[in-house]
Amino acid sequence: MVDALLGSAVQLLTPEGERVEHPDFDITLTDAELRSLYRDMVLVRRLDAEATALQRQGEIGLWASSLGQEAAQVGSAHSLRSSDYAFPTYRDHGVSWCRGVQPMEILAMFRGITNGGWDPIARRCSLYTIVIGNQVLHAAGYAMGVQLDGADEAVIVYFGDGATDEGDVNEAFVLGADYQLPLVYFCENNQWAISSPRDRFNRAPLYQRAAGFGFPGVRVDGNDILAVMAVTRMALDRARSGGGPTLVEAFTYRMGAHTTSDDPTRYRHAEDLEIWRLRDPIERLKVYLARNGMADRSYFDQVDHEAADLAVLVRDGVRAMAAPAPETMFDHVYVDPTAELVAQRAGLIAYEESFAEGLTA
Amino acid sequence: MTELTIAKALNAGLRRAMEHDSRVVLMGEDIGRLGGVFRITDGLQKDFGEHRVIDSPLAESAIVGAAVGLAMRGYRPVVEIQFDGFVYPAFDQIVSQVAKTLRRSEGAVRMPVVIRIPYGGGIGAVEHHSESPEAYFVHTAGLRVLTPSDPGAAYRTIQQAIACDDPVVYLEPKRRYWDKGEVDLAADVRSGDPWCSRLLREGTDVTVACYGPMVRTCLEAASAADVSVEVIDLQSLSPLDLDPVAASVERTGHLVVVHEASKTGGLGAEVAARITERCFYSLEAPVLRVTGYDVPYPASRLEEHFLPDLDRVLDAVDRSLAW
Amino acid sequence: MTSIREFALPDVGEGLTEAEILRWLVQPGDVVAVNDMIVEIETAKAAVELPSPFAGTIVELKVQPGDVVAVGTPIVGIETVAAAEAPSRQAVLVGYGVREESTPSRRRRGRRGTDVDETAAAPADEPAPAVAVSAAASEASPGVVKAKPPVRHLARELGVDLNRIIATGLHGEVTREDVRSAAGSGAPPAAPSRQAPRDERIAVHGVHRAMAEAMAHSARTAPQVTEWVDVEMTRANQAVARLREAWQGDGVRVTLLTLVATGLIRAVQAHPLTNAAWVDEGPALQMRGAVNMGIAADTPRGLLVPVVKDAGALSLRQLAGAIQGLVDDAREGRSTPADLTGGTVSVTNIGVFGIDGGTPLLPPGQSAILAMGRVVERPWVVEGVVVSRPVMQLTLTFDHRVMDGATGSKVLRAVADFLADPALELLVDSR
Repeated sequence: MVDALLGSAVQLLTPEGERVEHPDFDITLTDAELRSLYRDMVLVRRLDAEATALQRQGEIGLWASSLGQEAAQVGSAHSLRSSDYAFPTYRDHGVSWCRGVQPMEILAMFRGITNGGWDPIARRCSLYTIVIGNQVLHAAGYAMGVQLDGADEAVIVYFGDGATDEGDVNEAFVLGADYQLPLVYFCENNQWAISSPRDRFNRAPLYQRAAGFGFPGVRVDGNDILAVMAVTRMALDRARSGGGPTLVEAFTYRMGAHTTSDDPTRYRHAEDLEIWRLRDPIERLKVYLARNGMADRSYFDQVDHEAADLAVLVRDGVRAMAAPAPETMFDHVYVDPTAELVAQRAGLIAYEESFAEGLTA
Repeated sequence: MTELTIAKALNAGLRRAMEHDSRVVLMGEDIGRLGGVFRITDGLQKDFGEHRVIDSPLAESAIVGAAVGLAMRGYRPVVEIQFDGFVYPAFDQIVSQVAKTLRRSEGAVRMPVVIRIPYGGGIGAVEHHSESPEAYFVHTAGLRVLTPSDPGAAYRTIQQAIACDDPVVYLEPKRRYWDKGEVDLAADVRSGDPWCSRLLREGTDVTVACYGPMVRTCLEAASAADVSVEVIDLQSLSPLDLDPVAASVERTGHLVVVHEASKTGGLGAEVAARITERCFYSLEAPVLRVTGYDVPYPASRLEEHFLPDLDRVLDAVDRSLAW
Repeated sequence: MTSIREFALPDVGEGLTEAEILRWLVQPGDVVAVNDMIVEIETAKAAVELPSPFAGTIVELKVQPGDVVAVGTPIVGIETVAAAEAPSRQAVLVGYGVREESTPSRRRRGRRGTDVDETAAAPADEPAPAVAVSAAASEASPGVVKAKPPVRHLARELGVDLNRIIATGLHGEVTREDVRSAAGSGAPPAAPSRQAPRDERIAVHGVHRAMAEAMAHSARTAPQVTEWVDVEMTRANQAVARLREAWQGDGVRVTLLTLVATGLIRAVQAHPLTNAAWVDEGPALQMRGAVNMGIAADTPRGLLVPVVKDAGALSLRQLAGAIQGLVDDAREGRSTPADLTGGTVSVTNIGVFGIDGGTPLLPPGQSAILAMGRVVERPWVVEGVVVSRPVMQLTLTFDHRVMDGATGSKVLRAVADFLADPALELLVDSR
């Protein structure tokens, strides 16, 4: 069934790690670039695993796992120039990682010490948006700005299959088509919107929806990092050259729960996971690298060590991440605080201090 | 009497309403097979079928907009918004259509729609999962707003909300979902009146008015207080029933209103204004509010400082008495 | 160096409060690495496995499969090597931490110094400084009187103009006492308002509220019986006149009330149950030695009942002086709480309002109250002839739990007989 759905998807690397040709898409990467893709996917997966464990140990409040979607995220983000701008979902740890967002910056929100975590302007990567689909309209507006500036930049916006139900996403499609925006709509179709299987609400493949709005849509094997890069590069080039938007549907699978608060055993079968485990994005690239002599055992060991070090760094870093002072909740509500907020802030400080020892007269 | 959590009491109430009236249909994201992210609808799809417990697309405006159409067709839709912070895509449908259809149709089209929303903070969640949007709905004419504070109230009021021919925004205090209490499952409560405040604890020195998740906080504060605190659960936020509050304030002369939502323009302001109008000559102190601050709901590590707790309630009680 | 560290049950799903232990994946003695799965739990939302936060050796499983465990409960002890980190509080839930006490209690507060800044009009949700009202606020613009709404209401009720009151409260606030003393000193009344008639709800406070609560309690709890009798008052009036004349120069003012009180004291002494109080616990009767006579008085504050302590020990003259002093104090607001409490039996004079009779309600803690009506000329049959005589109606309400109808009747009859011929009764008694 998966193969049937994937029939129309662009693929350059089979699940068995064999390089195949596609009539419309191709990509040439150096060995170093290929190794770099592998390394990033392994590190992002380790980050994800460590964060999941930290949630189960009470160190972070929630985690949305990216397990299984590393190729879609790392491959597409690696296709961006540093001047391009990315709008991720809250699951796109591979995207933020590739944009240079530091692990502790990613985890800060899940640790509950901020609702942001990094400077989106400096990273050229917007903050995670939790309300489903909101960011797709933001990306359209940002792309309008790029267009007005006449800049040689492209914008990529990520969203899940579930988000395509939302009005915001469809309205953003209208904007992109209408203004021929320099925008790539990158849909990670991981097949599950929490408990809703994607085929329930989409009688036609998602990528075909683009045609109705008047721009091209491409389905790509989302677990094939080479295909993801080839397709995303094409779409970004098209955007920068004034060709208008493209919808990329990366066909992948959410191997974990929706979030750590979810229990997927209530609604899906273990057999599905087995099928998709065989399509693992990291394994197939590893096989390809090994088989073609692009990386050897020592390289793989080195990456594994690096991942273990990252895990320790993440673990220690999260545990050390302390809650900010309570009164910081009043910061940045307005550019300049209002008199009422100044008073409320002072009140909170005075209140907390009233419990301090040694205040006796 | 049976001991249930609020979550299970709501589940039992929904089941009872569906058994009683075949035109009651449930719709929402993940409410069917998964039973909802809080398991409030657990098992209902299995027992009533996919046509009555409908897994909706991930589209809040679609859920509420479709509920309007179902109501026009004579159904009694009970829709679930997954979290408070996700109701805003549906806000347009709620404010512009759900609330106004009866009036626009000059009474011809009723909107017996119940919009269930888990609300409030205190669960260590990420952004948009801890908000208290009640003031928006209370401010909207045409909507009724209910919030239960214990399992018994949850079991009763969810059925009464469904039986109501007006639209009801039904706010479920999600941090209290797992609180346990006695529920009389045998009682037929559909015809009861949920539009009233409840005097939950008698006291003589200070009146504390609260609702939803803050009720337990205030009851705990009253127990810990060294003065006598009367606690009133408003329960019905629209329409407000302030008779018990006024009667209490006429005895105590002191009123503290407690809610999680931010202060400015919140329910506390409305209660304070009405009580000041009715009980001006009984007030020994201004009506004090204990609320969230006027900031976006903070990251979870700071929420204990944002949310009113026992100490802040008692601090206000002391300040009122010392006025 | 090794140390044993505990892993407390975390909230794995946004606000959950407990979980059931499904099975342990490790046993004591097992060596675990960080993130090795050690236990499977089930919450209201999901069944999940928990990974170990520490590397080390399992030394103790603190909870068993089937146990329902509250979030924050230590579930396993793990012996770890070279514990560099302090065994600090284990995280349980973002924003929370282990709950230290099961019953919520108040945080202890450091005492505030007196040098805390006074902030003007602190926002309502902020803690009040030790001195709640700011200096700035107290220096309100001239002409603005600082008084709480209930005090303003009292001033209006008593016809007192707030602008002419000397405020003695904190920071120049007008107090209730200020208003009352202004009312007593005849401060010029406020200009009559010319508002249109309107309905309003008026809060009940103070004396009025105390009365309302006492009477409602009384009516709810005691089975009250009322009896009445008419008394011909010719001799009683003569006795009062004679006594007034005799004590005229001493400033002692004898009234009919003095005689009625005397009659009641004598009746109570003859029937001690009248002086008893019902006690629910037991149940029992609280017998009381002293007759503490409550005298209901109409005062500017409302109904007050000052009490003549051990009235039975007083001579008639002492009693007259005591009643007069207490009633004057009550009318002028000088009563102390002790003056107003401890009564065992009461008299109320409704005759002063031009009323013939009525059924008083028992004050709490008392078993009998006597009401005296007005003295009015009525047709009275004396040895078969209708003549005009001064007559008063006496009404006695008593607690039927404490005494039966026969006893109550005897008490009332005794008072009536005394008033019918006080001199004779006193003489008989002194025999």
